[in-house]
Amino acid sequence: MKYSAIAVAAAVLVSAALSAPAFATGKMSCEAGPQSGWKTRAELEASLVKQGWAVKKSKVDGGCYEVYGTTPEGDRVEAYFHPVSLEKLLVSRRGEILFRKK
Amino acid sequence: MLDHRLCNIHDHGMLILRLLNSLPVFWILLSIPAILLVGEYWAGETIAMDMLPPTGEFSARFMIIALMVTPLSVIFGNRLWIGWLVKRRRSFGLAAFGYALLHLVFYLIDMEALEPILAEFWAPGIWTGWAALLVFVPLAVTSNNLSMRFLKRGWKRLQRLSYVAALLTLAHWLLIHDGFEGALAHFVPLLLLELLRVIIIYARRNNMTKQQDSLQPE
Repeated sequence: MKYSAIAVAAAVLVSAALSAPAFATGKMSCEAGPQSGWKTRAELEASLVKQGWAVKKSKVDGGCYEVYGTTPEGDRVEAYFHPVSLEKLLVSRRGEILFRKK
Repeated sequence: MLDHRLCNIHDHGMLILRLLNSLPVFWILLSIPAILLVGEYWAGETIAMDMLPPTGEFSARFMIIALMVTPLSVIFGNRLWIGWLVKRRRSFGLAAFGYALLHLVFYLIDMEALEPILAEFWAPGIWTGWAALLVFVPLAVTSNNLSMRFLKRGWKRLQRLSYVAALLTLAHWLLIHDGFEGALAHFVPLLLLELLRVIIIYARRNNMTKQQDSLQPE
């Protein structure tokens, strides 16, 4: 019984500590200044579509724009863009890096 | 007369409680998250991609609960609530499989075509998911009394594959994308319980051999 109380307490503590929300995934970060200077996500999506991308979803991650979609080459990816310059920074497919800005 | 009526009310109450505590009602409870999620999707409130984390998490959650039953019964012994859990272990396991299938369906919808699915198949976060699902199939197919009777002792050996499924699920969750904290938050409690189970079994065995030793004539 002594063991069990310790185990349950430990389990609860560990779960609580670990379930703190993760705000950034840490895969990419951008120092892009205040959001007032950013281009909009709609602008990014429109320019990507023009280049032949299909966009499923976009959001802000680590101060960058993160886009889920399909590249003009047909790769289903997750990609990061600079929110001011809209420059492509990183393209990865389930963790496999397909492109990284030098 | 009054006594009789009170008795009747009491009987009705018990009947309703027993009904609420029955397995079919429990299955409905287990399917509520799925109903809500699919409802949101049908209503166009979410896209297939966003259905992947919740369906996968519920699958893992129910699998973990099913796996927790044995260590909990080793730790806490014969108790009413342990019996309650043991009776529902199969339901939890089958629910885990159901949510895994739902997870697969939304993955297929999200990926749209075979080509991108094949292109990412060997990514560590992807093949582990496929493998976990593959291991789940024989577990789910034999989760019935008929299979238990037919397979006899082999049934238990076969169901031990659930530990393989758990490890693959954990790997899938850790390796896919942003899932690190969530995966640990779900699996660490199970790990601790399993650890405790091993310690307790080991301690009991030690005690028993000690007792046997002291019973031996010098």
